[in-house]
Amino acid sequence: MIAFTDIVGMDLAKQALMLLAVDPSLGGVVIPSAVGSGKSTLARAFADILPEGTPFVELPLNVTEDRLIGGVDLEATIASGQRVVQHGVLSKAHKGVLYVDSLSLLDSSAVSHIMDAMSRGAVIVEREGLSEVHPADFMLVGTYDPSDGEVRMGLLDRIGIIVPFTAQNDYRARKKIIDIVLGTRDSEDTEDELRMLRGLVNAAREQLTHVSMTNEQIKGLIQTAMSLGVEGNRVDIFCIRCAIASAALAQRTEVGDEDMKLAVKLVLVPRATRMPEREPTEEEMQSQEEPPPDETEAEDEEAPADTPDADAEEEQEETPDMIEELMMDAMETELPDNILNISLASKKKAKSGSRGEALNNKRGRFVRAQEGEMKSGKVALIPTLISAAPWQASRRKEKEKSGRKFGALIINKEDVKIKRFRDKSGTLFIFMVDASGSMALNRMRQAKGAVSSLLQNAYVHRDQVALISFRGKQAQVLLPPSQSVDRAKRELDVLPTGGGTPLASALLTGWETAKQARTKGITQIMFVMITDGRGNIPLQAAYDPNAEKAPKEQLEKEIEALALSIQADGVASIVIDTQMNYLSRGEAPKLAQKLGGRYFYLPNAKAEQIVEAALS
Amino acid sequence: MTQTAKAAKKSSSAKAAAPAKAKATAEAKATTPEVKKPASKKKQAQAFPFTAIVGQEEMKLSLILNIIDPRIGGVLVMGHRGTGKSTTVRALAEVLPLIPRVKDDIYNRTVDQYIDAESGKKGTPVLKPEDVKTEMIIVPVVDLPLGATEDRVCGTIDIEKALTSGVKAFEPGLLAQSNRGFLYIDEVNLLDDHLVDVLLDVAASGRNVVEREGISIRHPARFVLVGSGNPEEGELRPQLLDRFGLHARIVTINDVAKRVEIVKRRRDYDEDPEAFLKKCTREQQKLQKKIVTAQELLNQVSMDDKVLTDIARLCMNLGIDGHRGELTITRTAYAYAALQGKTTVTMQHVREIAGLCLRHRLRKDPLETVDAGEKIERELAKILGEVEAAA
Repeated sequence: MIAFTDIVGMDLAKQALMLLAVDPSLGGVVIPSAVGSGKSTLARAFADILPEGTPFVELPLNVTEDRLIGGVDLEATIASGQRVVQHGVLSKAHKGVLYVDSLSLLDSSAVSHIMDAMSRGAVIVEREGLSEVHPADFMLVGTYDPSDGEVRMGLLDRIGIIVPFTAQNDYRARKKIIDIVLGTRDSEDTEDELRMLRGLVNAAREQLTHVSMTNEQIKGLIQTAMSLGVEGNRVDIFCIRCAIASAALAQRTEVGDEDMKLAVKLVLVPRATRMPEREPTEEEMQSQEEPPPDETEAEDEEAPADTPDADAEEEQEETPDMIEELMMDAMETELPDNILNISLASKKKAKSGSRGEALNNKRGRFVRAQEGEMKSGKVALIPTLISAAPWQASRRKEKEKSGRKFGALIINKEDVKIKRFRDKSGTLFIFMVDASGSMALNRMRQAKGAVSSLLQNAYVHRDQVALISFRGKQAQVLLPPSQSVDRAKRELDVLPTGGGTPLASALLTGWETAKQARTKGITQIMFVMITDGRGNIPLQAAYDPNAEKAPKEQLEKEIEALALSIQADGVASIVIDTQMNYLSRGEAPKLAQKLGGRYFYLPNAKAEQIVEAALS
Repeated sequence: MTQTAKAAKKSSSAKAAAPAKAKATAEAKATTPEVKKPASKKKQAQAFPFTAIVGQEEMKLSLILNIIDPRIGGVLVMGHRGTGKSTTVRALAEVLPLIPRVKDDIYNRTVDQYIDAESGKKGTPVLKPEDVKTEMIIVPVVDLPLGATEDRVCGTIDIEKALTSGVKAFEPGLLAQSNRGFLYIDEVNLLDDHLVDVLLDVAASGRNVVEREGISIRHPARFVLVGSGNPEEGELRPQLLDRFGLHARIVTINDVAKRVEIVKRRRDYDEDPEAFLKKCTREQQKLQKKIVTAQELLNQVSMDDKVLTDIARLCMNLGIDGHRGELTITRTAYAYAALQGKTTVTMQHVREIAGLCLRHRLRKDPLETVDAGEKIERELAKILGEVEAAA
């Protein structure tokens, strides 16, 4: 096994793990990194620097709910005839480390349970006749590849340190990697180094309570958090703990500038929602020497900061791009008046059973028990025992009579109940909206109306909506799969339009979004494409500025290959053509055909018509 | 305060106590399965003190008003991550008053409820109030975790008894424990649909009916429903939303001084919880006393017909369906007046709490730009303006 000290590069990640080892109340470390960077090796090697005997539990991605939080141990219970409780993975990690590889692929119910355990420091088990509290105070170490999708914000909020994303190691590191692989390093060296690190961590833990921090320093970090638009007040505390741990690790008794900079880098910057007006670190730090600004004034500055800030960001986006931009304001968008009719239409659809939640025997959340064969699913213990209980006396007599042996419990085939699960997945509607050309404003408005009305009913079906706009050189995910009206509203407020039509890029982006959603348990996916079907920008353009022009055949080939693959992948599609008849050259119906989806010609489509088409 | 830090990071003594406690519960169950401790005793003893929580006045007020009058119908706390939602709710237990219940009753019933249900049933003797022993308990706060199964929520057959002695005994669930207390659901917007169905049903009728596995039990289950969550994680089912009396919104505090204070208090608490709690004892007791005083005063509070008319008009002008809006405003205004030590409800009281009562009852429009609170305030100003003009 490769030891912590043998791992090359990723210095920041190592530093982060050291800090966590010093102060476990930092909650955890998340390491986003590309495939092959050695992030999971590093995370597993974390155990090396922890005091001996610290539990290190790796969470399998396909963990079931009862394994996660605990429940009744089936075999032991049947064998002993008494209820035997099995602790879940979360409580096994108590006082130690819970490690999750591919954190972003963890299904949402598991994420919710982890969040809950982290907020209480315990797991409350209220299942199958059990009512217990198991302590579960653990550090969460998570690694993931950002191209697999993002980790849920609610979970990140409970984890103190997020290591900034790094793509690759440098060459010196590579040299060392080769050394290790070739075995030129001495194992004794490694052992010594590890011992030294463990010693450092131990010393730092003792130092922790002796580190002091001035009010000005605390205030400086908090102001930095505010200028970066970091949400919530919990992060402030992580940030301060991080600075203190850093000082303790260096055996200092006072928090210094470098500790604060590190805390800003590891705790605040990864959570920034906006660019600060000033430089976040250097200047912010130095500004402490000046008398701090009046607090009420600072607050006033912060409050209305949203609007000018947003503008500033847009300007930045605008500069590199020479495309004429039309900024569109969602405030002006009219909502269809008969939104209620749409919701009725979709409810009807849900009852017909073609969409919505699916009951099954394998995954999702355990809902109820049903009669069934042992092999066809997971046995629901308590209901099985309950149905067997009333017959025990009579069965025992029978067995005694026939002289056959019997155990503490006599369970017959007909007693067996299996678990039925509810797969909590509706349909993911991926809207792909052509934001190029002059009709873009119109299409965007229709799409937004449709997105809004679908979301109005999202709670009914557990449906989700994503929105991808394509214009200029490549497609862009404006709204990742979401159920939240609030979030959609915020993301869709300002949409840029105009420029070329990168249709192939849209298909690719949509397909990637679909694949990511699949890993999270969403099985039904539908593309809703609002376009005239006329792509004129090749895929290459996304990274090669000279590739904007491409022969027509190449464009068609790209689109065809993608469309056919998407169809083969089982994604349903509809294409809504909004082009005026006399301008249409029949590209949109062709696109629909290649996708194996239906084609709607709706030149003045209202939002509700689009919703109807999508639900039909 | 907040938020911050994981509630997990209780004192080290609380940590050490936790496993011991879990064990104790298990042992207690093995020997005397029919006697259940009230849920509140199951919780770790030391929550961050309620009175030491900085800011988030809206949420704190909502919770206090619900203690004063549980008929207000609970509170939904929605807002940013890491702003102290669950810390505040979990701190609530420490400032709750005592209530009397029938001794060791698993449903926390009053003497009247107990006699109503148990007296003269199938050969049992007719009970008189003086025959029933009572005890004082702290108003229970029951945590409903997301992964709870239906049998633990509603209660089910006691499996051990059924297997060992063949007796069909009822093992009460969380709904029984929460009778006359608080039922708290963190991340309520992620709660499974089938549990939401159960809750809606019970909340509407005030009783839990269990008809499963060959047992038939009904028991009172009146609780104050407290939910919290982050709206960005998903929407709440409208029927459930409607069940909550109040809707408190919570945002990141953007006042540097307050944020510094939050961090400092948390650090003090982490370093020495015992000392920190001790420092807060007086404040905690003061608040508890204030709540009890308000409870006693509540019966004497009255409301002018004029104020009632204005409330009705406010709800009408805002286009709120049904009468739950008016009812909630009225009850909440009574409780608020009592908390202020007043015996007459004025429009000023109503104004202070109207947002809490109505915010979630306005129709939600994803493209609406005007904040619901602002809308309510605007209508109120209109009505109050008319009032002034008429006077």
